[in-house]
Amino acid sequence: MGSWVLGLAKQESIRSFENLAKTVMIHVRHLTKHYSDLQRGPIVALSDVSFDAFPGQIYGLLGPNGAGKTTALRILSTILRPTRGQVTVNGFDVVRQASEVRRQIGVVSANTAIYDRMTGREFVEYFGRLHGLDRATLQERIEAVFANLQMGASQDLLGSKLSSGMRQKVSIARALIHDPPVLIFDEATCGLDVLVARALLRNVAELRDQGKCVVFSTHIMREAERLCDRLAIVYRGRILAEGTLDSLREQYGEEDLEELFFQLIEGERCP
Amino acid sequence: MSLTSIRLIWFRELRDQLRDRRTIFSIAILPLVLYPLMGMVFLQVAQFLREHPTEVKLMGAAELATDPALVEGDRFAAAFCPPEESQLLNLTVSSWVLEEGETYAGRATAAIRGGPYDAVVVFPHSFSARLSAFRKHLCSAADDRDVGASELAAQIPAPEIFVNLANDKSRIARDRLERILQRWREAIVRETLRDSRFPIEATEPFRIQATDVSEESLRRAAVWSKLLPFIVLIWALTGAFYPAIDLCAGEKERGTLETLLCSPALRSEIVWGKLLTVTTFSTVTALLNLFSLALTGILLFGRLSRMGDVAMRVELGAPPLGAFFWLLVTIVPIAALFSGLALAVASFARSSKEGQYYLMPLLLIMLPLMTLPMLPAVELNLGFSMLPVAGMMLWLRALIEGEYLLAARHAVPVIGVTMACCWLAIRWAEHQFQSEEVLFRESERFGPRLWLRHLMRDRQDTPTATLAFGCGLLILMITFLASVQATAPADWSALATRVVFTQLGLIAAPAVLSAWLLTRRPGRSLLWHAAPRGSGLAAVALAVALHPWVLVLGTGIRRVYPLGEETLRALEPLVAAISQAPLWQVLLVVALVPAVCEELAFRGLILTGLRRLGSDTAAILISSLFFGLTHGMLQQSLAATLVGMLIGLIAVQTGSLWPCILFHATHNSLAIGAARLGEYVSTQGGLEWLVYEQVGPLGGELHYRGAVLLVSLMFSTLLLVWFRTLSRSDTVNS
Repeated sequence: MGSWVLGLAKQESIRSFENLAKTVMIHVRHLTKHYSDLQRGPIVALSDVSFDAFPGQIYGLLGPNGAGKTTALRILSTILRPTRGQVTVNGFDVVRQASEVRRQIGVVSANTAIYDRMTGREFVEYFGRLHGLDRATLQERIEAVFANLQMGASQDLLGSKLSSGMRQKVSIARALIHDPPVLIFDEATCGLDVLVARALLRNVAELRDQGKCVVFSTHIMREAERLCDRLAIVYRGRILAEGTLDSLREQYGEEDLEELFFQLIEGERCP
Repeated sequence: MSLTSIRLIWFRELRDQLRDRRTIFSIAILPLVLYPLMGMVFLQVAQFLREHPTEVKLMGAAELATDPALVEGDRFAAAFCPPEESQLLNLTVSSWVLEEGETYAGRATAAIRGGPYDAVVVFPHSFSARLSAFRKHLCSAADDRDVGASELAAQIPAPEIFVNLANDKSRIARDRLERILQRWREAIVRETLRDSRFPIEATEPFRIQATDVSEESLRRAAVWSKLLPFIVLIWALTGAFYPAIDLCAGEKERGTLETLLCSPALRSEIVWGKLLTVTTFSTVTALLNLFSLALTGILLFGRLSRMGDVAMRVELGAPPLGAFFWLLVTIVPIAALFSGLALAVASFARSSKEGQYYLMPLLLIMLPLMTLPMLPAVELNLGFSMLPVAGMMLWLRALIEGEYLLAARHAVPVIGVTMACCWLAIRWAEHQFQSEEVLFRESERFGPRLWLRHLMRDRQDTPTATLAFGCGLLILMITFLASVQATAPADWSALATRVVFTQLGLIAAPAVLSAWLLTRRPGRSLLWHAAPRGSGLAAVALAVALHPWVLVLGTGIRRVYPLGEETLRALEPLVAAISQAPLWQVLLVVALVPAVCEELAFRGLILTGLRRLGSDTAAILISSLFFGLTHGMLQQSLAATLVGMLIGLIAVQTGSLWPCILFHATHNSLAIGAARLGEYVSTQGGLEWLVYEQVGPLGGELHYRGAVLLVSLMFSTLLLVWFRTLSRSDTVNS
C-alpha cells in the first residue's frame, strides 16, 4: 500500500503538474532578519530577500558559508521568526500559522541530527506519530520510505551505531514520513562521502519528479548546477542574482557557474 | 496543545533517558549502593573513634594526697573510672612543682601543643591542704561549722583542665576527664558528710523524674519528619537537574533539538513533554534515595544500639508508614516545581558542561528555603506556609507528625503557593523555549570592555529587559549595602537627610543615568510623557478610594507576619520623629520625594525595559517585586509589592509616569495623614462615623468603618475599570 500511496502521489502530481507549477508553494517577500552580537553589534543576517518556489522544482540557494542560507531556511521552517517581511508556505504564514507550516514541510539539515539512543525505525515512527499519522498508515509509510531509501537492516540499529550516510538516510526518511509537499535540504551533503552524497542528490531529484517543491541550499557549485531548476545566489544576507541556470548564464554572459558566482561576489566586494 | 503529542514526547524522552547508562547509574544504582556504602564507612569510623584512646596528663599528683584517692598507681582509681573507660585513657601522672617564673597554663599549653597530650588536668599548689582544712572544719563542732566554711571553700584552688577545643579528640578527652572528676568530687562530698555525721540524703532530698508521654511512633515521627522532607527535596532537585540538562543542553549539543522544533509539535508541547520527563525522574530519584536511606538508616541505628554506645543510641526506629504516604503525595508538585526551574535554567546552557555550572546557583537559592524548616523554632503558621518550598516542607512535617488539623488549616496557602510557583516556573521554561536568543545562543567572546562598548554602541530607543534587570539588581544591592552600613537616624533631620539621599542617590540616579547613557530616548525610557486626559485626577482619586483598603492590607500583613520585638524597638524613634516633625516637611520628604524617585526607577526604566519580555503581566509582576524588595522590611515589602502592581497597571494603561507619581504621592501622604489622624482621634475623639481606633503593635491603629470600606471598594472598582478602558500604551519596540 505504501508504494501505492507514493505512486498515487506521483500520478497525481504528473496529472496536475501544469496547475501546480502555477501555484506558488513558497512565497518570500522582503524577508529581513536581524540579531545582535556582542562583538560585532547588530548583524543583518538577511536583508530584503524575496523569492518564490514552485512544486516540481528544485529551488537552490547558492552561497558561501555565513551568507544567510541557514537563517532563511530556519525562518521557512518556523524555527526562527523574521524581523520583517512575509513568508508563506503552501499558503500558510510562518509566524501566524507556524504549526500548519511545519506540517507542510520536511527539513533535512546539518543541524537536524537523529537521536543516538533510538533506532532508525523508532526515530521515524516517533516523528510520524508527532505528525498525527495513525498506526496503519504510519507502518505503510515507513515500509515505503525505507524501501525507497534502501535502508536495509540498519534501520534497527541505534542512532549512535549508524554511519553518517545511514544517519542522513534516517533523517530523510524522517522528513518524508508525512509526505509533505515541501522539502528543505540545508547543506544536506555536508560531511558525506562522494557515494552517499551522490545517492542523496539522486533522492532529491526523485522527490522533485514526484512533484515536491524542494528548497536546496548548498555552497557546492556542481550540486547546484546538476540539481537546481532555479537558483538564487546569496551573499551577505542578500540575493545577488536569481533565475534559472540558463537565464543566469545568459544574463551574465558566463557559461561556468563557478565563474559567474565569483564575478557576482567580486562585484559585490568592490562595486 | 495536544495531549497525544505531550505523551509521545514524554514517553520518548523517558525511554531515551532510560537507555542512557549514566542516568540509570545516577538515579537508581547510585542511591541503592551509596547509602549502604556510607553506612559501612560510618560504622568503620565509629569503630575507629572508639578504639583510639586519648592521651591525658595529670600534673600536680603531689596535691592529690586526699581520701579517697583519685589516682592509683598510673591510672585513675577504679571507683571513678571503670575499666572500660580506663582503657580509653592513657594517663601520665607527673608530680610536678611550679618552678620560678613558670605558670600552670604555660606548662599545660606546651604539653598539649607540643606533646602528644589531648588534655592536661592540673591540680594546683596547696589544693590538697586547703581541701583538707575545709573538710576538717566541717567535721568540727556543729555550732562552729557555719562560721568561715564558705571562706575556706573559696580558698580551695580550682583544678584546671586544659584542652584544645579545635581538636575533636581533645574535646572527647575533656568530656571523659570531667566525668571522672565529677564522680570523684561526689565521693569527697559523701565522705565529708559522713565524717561530719550529716545524713547523705541531705544533698539530694528528692529526685527529679522526667516522663516522656509521647507515643513511641510520634517520637520517631518527630525525628523523621525533619529528616525525610529535606532528603526528598534535595534529591528531587538533583534528580530534576541532570535530566533537564540532558534534555535541553544535551539536545542542543547533539543537534536533535532543531529536529524536534521542525516537527509539528508546539513549543509548549515540547516543554510539557520534557517537563513531565524531568518530573518523573525527579520523583523517582527522590523516592529511591528515600527508600535506600531509610533502609540503611534502620539497619545502621539498629546495629549501633546493639553495640551499646551511649552517644550513638539515637532513638530512631523505622520511619512511620504514614510518612511515606504523605511524601508520595507531596513529592509530585515539589518535583514539578523543581523540574520547571531546572528546565528553564538548563535551557540557557549551550552544552551539558555549561549546564552543570548552573546547578550551584540554583542550589544556593533553594538551600535556605530547604534548611529554614529544620530550624528548631520554625513551625507551620500562616506566614511560613506562604513561603515556597519551606511552607511545603513544614506542611509535610505536620502531616508526618499526625497534626492533621494544623495541616488542614494551612492546606490552601501551601498548595496555592506551590501551584503558583509551579505555574511560574513552567511559564518561564515555556518562555525560554520560545526565545530565539536562548535556543540559538552561540558562544561569544565576552569581556568587560567588549560589553561596555556593546552597551554604548548598540543602545536602543528604550531599555532592554537585561538593562532593566541589571538596574533593578543594582538598586537592590546598593540600597541594601547602604542600609547595613547606616546607623539608626537620631532625629528628624537625620532621617530626612537619609531618605532624600537614598531616594535621589541610590534609586533615582541609577535609573536616570541608565536611561540617559544607555538608551537613545531617555524621556521615552523613563515614561516621561504627557498623560491621557483625566488620568492624573483618576490616579489621585484611586489612591484616595483605595486608602481604607491599604490600611486593611497593612493590618492583615502585620497579623500574619507580626513585627519582631527588635524591629518595633528600632521603629519607635522613627515613628516618633515623623510624628513630631512639621507636616509639610514630612509630606515633602516621605511622600513626594520617594514618589518621584521610585517611580522614575521602577515604573520608568525598569517596567519599560521589562515590557520588552513580551508579557505586560510578567513585567508588572517583576518590577513590583523589585519595588517591594527595596523596602527592606518584609511587612513593608509585601504591601509595596501589591501597591507596585497597581501602579504598574496604571503605568502600562496610561503610558505615562505622571499618574503613577500622583498615585504614589497621594498614597504616601494618606499613610502619613492616617497616622496623624489616628493620634488626633485618640486624643481628641470625634469622627466616629468614619474611623475607629484599635491598639496595634505600633500604638493606635486607624480603621475605617465597614460602610466606608464598601464605598471605597465601589469607587476603586469603577476607577480601575476606567483605567482598563484606556488603550494600552505601546512601549515595546525594537
